[in-house]
Amino acid sequence: MTTATTTRTAARVVDAVKVYGVGDTAVRALDGVSVDFPAGRFTAIMGPSGSGKSTLMHCAAGLDTLTSGAAYIGDTELGSLDDRRLTLLRRDRVGFVFQAFNLVPTLTVAENITLPLDLSGARGDREWIDALVDVVGLRDRLHHRPSELSGGQQQRVAVARAFAGRPEVVFADEPTGNLDSRSGGEVLGLLRRAVQQTDRTVVMVTHDPVAAAHADEVVFLADGRLVDRMDSPTAEKVLDRLKAFEDVRS
Amino acid sequence: MNASARLSMSSLRAHKRRFAGTFLAVFLGVAFLAGTLVMGDTLRANFDTMFGDATSGTDAVVRSADAITTPGESEGVRQPVSTALLKTIGQVPGVAAAAPSIQGAGQLVGANGEAIGGKGPPTLAGNWITDPKLNPYRLAEGRTPARPGEVVINRGAADKGHLEIGDTTTLRTPNPVKVTIVGLATFGGEDGMAQVTFTGMTQADAEKYLTAKPGEASSISVRAGPGISQTQLADRLTPVLPKGVEAITGQQSAQENTDMISSQFLTIFTTFLLVFSGIALLVATFSIHNTFAIVIAQRTRENALLRALGASRRQVTAATVTEASVVAVAASAAGLAGGIGIAAGLKALFPAIGFPFPEGDLVIKTLSMVLPLAVGIIVCLGSALMPAVRAGRTAPLAALRETAVDQSGASRVRAVTGTALALLAVSATLTGVLISPSLLLAGVGAVLALVAFVVLGPVASSTAVRVLGSPLDRLRGVTGGLARRNALRSPRRTAATASALMIGVAVVSLFTVFGASLKATMDQTVSRSFAGDVAVSTPSFGAGGSGLSPELAGAIGKLPEVDTAVGLGRGVAEVDGKGRALTVTDPTALARTFDLGTVQGSLRSLGTDGIAITRTEADRQHLTTGSTAQLAFTDGQKKTFTVRAIYGQSELAGDYVITRAAWSPHRTQDSDTLVAVSFKEGVSTAKGKAAVDSIAAHYGNPQVQTRHEYAQSSAGGIDMMLTLVYALLALAVLIALLGIANTLTLAIHERTRELGLLRAVGQTRSQLRAMVRWESVLVAAFGTLGGLALGAFLGWVLVKASDGASDSAFAFALPPVQLVVVALVGVTAGALAGLRPARRAARLDVLRAIATE
Repeated sequence: MTTATTTRTAARVVDAVKVYGVGDTAVRALDGVSVDFPAGRFTAIMGPSGSGKSTLMHCAAGLDTLTSGAAYIGDTELGSLDDRRLTLLRRDRVGFVFQAFNLVPTLTVAENITLPLDLSGARGDREWIDALVDVVGLRDRLHHRPSELSGGQQQRVAVARAFAGRPEVVFADEPTGNLDSRSGGEVLGLLRRAVQQTDRTVVMVTHDPVAAAHADEVVFLADGRLVDRMDSPTAEKVLDRLKAFEDVRS
Repeated sequence: MNASARLSMSSLRAHKRRFAGTFLAVFLGVAFLAGTLVMGDTLRANFDTMFGDATSGTDAVVRSADAITTPGESEGVRQPVSTALLKTIGQVPGVAAAAPSIQGAGQLVGANGEAIGGKGPPTLAGNWITDPKLNPYRLAEGRTPARPGEVVINRGAADKGHLEIGDTTTLRTPNPVKVTIVGLATFGGEDGMAQVTFTGMTQADAEKYLTAKPGEASSISVRAGPGISQTQLADRLTPVLPKGVEAITGQQSAQENTDMISSQFLTIFTTFLLVFSGIALLVATFSIHNTFAIVIAQRTRENALLRALGASRRQVTAATVTEASVVAVAASAAGLAGGIGIAAGLKALFPAIGFPFPEGDLVIKTLSMVLPLAVGIIVCLGSALMPAVRAGRTAPLAALRETAVDQSGASRVRAVTGTALALLAVSATLTGVLISPSLLLAGVGAVLALVAFVVLGPVASSTAVRVLGSPLDRLRGVTGGLARRNALRSPRRTAATASALMIGVAVVSLFTVFGASLKATMDQTVSRSFAGDVAVSTPSFGAGGSGLSPELAGAIGKLPEVDTAVGLGRGVAEVDGKGRALTVTDPTALARTFDLGTVQGSLRSLGTDGIAITRTEADRQHLTTGSTAQLAFTDGQKKTFTVRAIYGQSELAGDYVITRAAWSPHRTQDSDTLVAVSFKEGVSTAKGKAAVDSIAAHYGNPQVQTRHEYAQSSAGGIDMMLTLVYALLALAVLIALLGIANTLTLAIHERTRELGLLRAVGQTRSQLRAMVRWESVLVAAFGTLGGLALGAFLGWVLVKASDGASDSAFAFALPPVQLVVVALVGVTAGALAGLRPARRAARLDVLRAIATE
């Protein structure tokens, strides 16, 4: 690993605080989190439900706004952007893979993959997209509608779409949550390879230690705070770490 | 409250917004209907009161017993009575006073030189009855006319023409009479009887200008002495009156006046409005049905869960029907209240825009309350019935399936049924129009065509939207493409939404095409049968206007530029027992300025006992040249005429032509309706027209028009009608647009997650708005084009059917500019309908939309 890559961060949040509701019903989903997502790396965000991991991802990706603190994509501070600029930023510099309902049902597979590019009116890098189609293995399905695909195939299309515009960072929210283990493995393998072979950055929220094990690093969240980081995780190590939380809590 | 009712109440509370569109559609339709009915009731009652008040001092009216009514007229022509009767009447015991009432046509010229009124309501002139109790008009300002040339006019006419007491102006009787206004009058407490203008002159003047000879009056008004009832008075009068003269009570006379207003104006007015509220309600039915269908489809899972938990089919259906009932009753009641409000508002508004309706309270009859309520409820419940039954049929297992979007619509059965219906419709209309002309068959075909369009809608919508939307892909990129595919998602829904607009647009196009065809027909008529160079006429319409001075034709004829000037007057007589309009003219000159087609016999020698008739009338009555026909005139005289000529074309010349000499013994007020002028060779139209203009200026300034101008102005009334029709159809189109907006809102609700995804991956708000708007435009474009096609077809059917049903030829014309405007308005309106749903969609919270369940 070169020095250049370690100093470059694709996305980061600083002192991130997110409060939902007001008064007695107020909930602090994020309670002063600061975390960097280095470029060219695959980072997993883990934590029990209610730990704030999805909120962190939404705020870091520009889908939601912070109550206080700052979120950056590259050097762009998201809090200063209006809805339009945020949308353009998501379109041009960020990719998304959601747990379910990733594809527009009226568009074909090919059209879904190029959707963000088409929305911006850009032609995109056709060679790159062509290569992506092969990587996700959907060449023979390009003109099908999402409803004609299996769940795993749909998620693979979503991955291809996320990378189609060569975004600075791809955020994946429980991308394997609705898949069987084999399909899930394929999707995670795709994300992994994209990071390794094409120097992309992926941030993935998951509660599955097996999924987290595909990442370069895991950050652990509990009660809206960053509680730990782990390099080169394995499923066992992650599971042990999670168990330790449970023990502390109980 | 039982379970079904509880379910529907909670559902209504939860989905208030979804029913807002339905509510509005029912509300508007019912309000229109109720407003029309209440307005009709009120006007009828108020006119009744006004006539009652105005003529309350008149206890009996003596007049000629017989009236001759020609087809298309509600008020017959009566022969005047002799004023010598006054003496006889005065001697009848119980008579307190009697006064002659002379009534004729007299159009005032306003301060600006333009004639006042004449566009529908009558322009009356008469003698100012000196006995104030017998005079329906009351002097409000100034004094009564005492010297020749002095007149009292009603205040409404004075305001309209900017005339004041002391002003001198012209009264066309139709001979121009110079008059000085000495007083202003009111009628029944109003400035006038609606738009009717009245000029009261001295009795001598009235006899001079408004009757054929002195000593005549239209009728004699009689007042009873104390203790004598109206009936007693009439009974006492009857025996002393000569044959052919009758006495009726004042009440009867007032009632006849009211009935005349009712049949001439109010009935047409309300029927017209009722037809349009019917169209609005039909369009509303489509919108409401669609809303319920969508809501039920969206609620499949919920209903399936209820079924799985043990709710019976009946309970689920009942819950939906109850829901519809609540909306129906609430919206209909609100609509009724709104309708009464509209009627009250219009009543207040009309006088403000110079249309003084008589004063009086709002009158609401039971029928006007019950009918709109019933219609609103039936329309709403009827529209909800099928969806409710479908809701009851939901399989319990549907709860476990993903909510499937309605994919039906383009089924084979539908395509086959629709095509069969369309073929049936076309063959029925074609048979009815071309082979054996029958209005009924053509009508049945037209209705079938409408049904076929509705049935075929879903089949056609896919293709239509695909074609209409294809430029969108290229022009608007992915936004346009998405819009197009969204419109294609549920063909049945798209079609149902578009159907509502389609009906509205079809009616608009139908009237547009029919109007254009009528104009073309008139144009054709004028250019075919009018062989003169200029036409002189007064721009009038309906009962208004006083025609042209009979001296005008002669005066114009003396001009050096003029070859022939022929005046056409109008007379009435009964020919073989039926009232007919006669054209009174100089037949020899007529043949020079009108193309009468092939003339059999000679127009030269009609004399006082000859008549010329058209070929069609001759055939109908089995007359040939040389045969005789008996004409009965209003004065009771019967005279045998010999048919001296039969001519081919009747369009402007009328069906029966007699000479002035033959008519004058029987005439009342003398006037011409048209003077046709042809110039000498070598005289330019401009020069000739200027010469005619200079003469016309001395005769109350009637319009002098070239052939083209005359043809155009003959069609002027059609444009006025069309404007009114468009205004009334705006409501139906508005309801259709509400339907589109509502469907879109529901669809957006359905697609929340998809929209969230699009926003997450980078669709900007404006792109999202554009996407929804374009979908709306596509649906509207489909409806508009369907409507244009249907409307043009129905217009053609109507024109051809009218052609077959009438003697004169009807031309069919498609006005390209107007139809393009209709298309553009439809599509633009679609974009407007999409505005609100688009705004709401853009406000969507991305996070909530993509949140996993």
